[in-house]
Amino acid sequence: MVGELAGNYSTVVLMFAFGIAAMAPALVISRMISPRKRSNPVKFLPMECGQVPSGEGRTHFMMQYYPYILMFVVFDVMAIFLYAWGAALLELPKSATLPMMGFLAIMFGAMAPALYLSGKRRIW
Amino acid sequence: MSVIAPDFKLSGFIKSLLDNIFWILLLFVLIGLPAVFMILIVIEMPIIDGELLTPFLALSYLVNPTRTLPVIQAFMTTDIFRVMAFPGFGFAALLAAGTIFAERKMMAKIQLRVGPFYCGKFEGILQLMGDGLKLISKEIIIPAKADKPIFWAAPVLFVATAAAFVALIPVAPGWVVADVDLGLLAVFAVIGFFPIITILSAWSANSKYPFIGGIRALFQMVSFEIPLILSLLGVVMVTGTLNLSEITASQSNFPWIVFLPIGAIVFFIAMLAELERIPFDLPEAESEIVAGWLTELSGMLYGLVQLGSYLKLYAFAALFVVLFLGGWNGPMVVPPFPEEIITEGIEMGPITLSIEGLPLLTQEMLNGTLWFVLKTVGVIFFIILPRGVFPRVRVDLLLDLGWTKLIGLCFINIFIALGLVYAGVLGPGGLQ
Repeated sequence: MVGELAGNYSTVVLMFAFGIAAMAPALVISRMISPRKRSNPVKFLPMECGQVPSGEGRTHFMMQYYPYILMFVVFDVMAIFLYAWGAALLELPKSATLPMMGFLAIMFGAMAPALYLSGKRRIW
Repeated sequence: MSVIAPDFKLSGFIKSLLDNIFWILLLFVLIGLPAVFMILIVIEMPIIDGELLTPFLALSYLVNPTRTLPVIQAFMTTDIFRVMAFPGFGFAALLAAGTIFAERKMMAKIQLRVGPFYCGKFEGILQLMGDGLKLISKEIIIPAKADKPIFWAAPVLFVATAAAFVALIPVAPGWVVADVDLGLLAVFAVIGFFPIITILSAWSANSKYPFIGGIRALFQMVSFEIPLILSLLGVVMVTGTLNLSEITASQSNFPWIVFLPIGAIVFFIAMLAELERIPFDLPEAESEIVAGWLTELSGMLYGLVQLGSYLKLYAFAALFVVLFLGGWNGPMVVPPFPEEIITEGIEMGPITLSIEGLPLLTQEMLNGTLWFVLKTVGVIFFIILPRGVFPRVRVDLLLDLGWTKLIGLCFINIFIALGLVYAGVLGPGGLQ
């Protein structure tokens, strides 16, 4: 039963594998027929609009939008939970909607202060 | 200093051609023919209908349609055909290539240029092939301190993930690569891979512009993932299923855009953001950060990312069509297959050819594919139109739009769907 369910998804994996199998040769052929000249080390420097690059490539970044990532982790999961209810809505009795309204209220109620707090630049 | 190419000489060209033909013939006679005979000696040929299968007989089978058509029909039901050709990779790549060409011509018309013009004599119709050849013959330059395995793998993974997305789209009744029960959730799962591949590619380049572009892509996709997911909840609520084929079949009378226009608009905007297209092309903003996360990709690596992004564009447009515009549903415009060919055969002068196994494709399938392609092309038109019309939005406006306005509209859409179901307009006992 479980294997059957998982077997349905095998064609997705097959398509993924076909994508790799069809596109990797393009890179191999390109590598074979294209010129490879190692004449100048400057050629292999990272692109910085013609300047000689300064400093590390992977610089430390000021993550000004970090609270949005935190919000995403929480609310993405909550949004997916709603699908379990949405897909079964037509079979459920109408009284089963009340707890979902509570869930939506909690979701909305949590999102509003989270958005308000993430907008305050000083605390991040 | 580049070397100027030597002048073209017809005699030299003919000489090289004859040389090649000579070597091919020589190798064929010395290696090819003996190999064929050795194989024929070793292999026992099967006996079919009381006749020994000789190469001559095999060739005559190949051109006999009554023998080949059932084989083709059987092949068309296999997974391999579906993955490689029709609802899968080949079909999607064809539409993606058409999209690239149409987009370049359309942008040119909007900006009062002519666009691709010379390659292929007629309106530059072979420009795409020329670009492909150019990209494949270009040198691939990788930054010295880059993480090479990830840098090589990321474009291939991008295309493969886009292909996995294409696999979930139903094109015509029964014509879908992967008909899974939780199709919509599988779509969300596949979409979730794109930011990871983007940030991997950006990080592995060890350069500043790709890194900034990758971070931007991450934030953009993060802030538009939730509106994308919530905007489709309305459709799932009124259909009661997550299977994309069943969702399409449920729209035989009305497409859901009639009842859930807010969800459709929110999904369209979130789709533009997920596709990194103008006005949301911050990850590859070419006037700010060179080319964003594509800066260090050269040659075929860039070509693969372009192919992947256009496959993704097709898949998103097709998803919009499947969920809101009714997919393959439409009036029957394809004429039925003529009965005389099946019953009496085709008359060609003195001989009458009766072919078994026709028709190869059913009328429903052809009609469904026609409507699906027409609707998808329409949606693709509206996806590429903003590129010539709108400017780019600022990062903070983008986050504000995604997190407050679109999510608010999504909740309104959910309550509209709930009201439609509980008022008895849709669902069991309703219109559909």
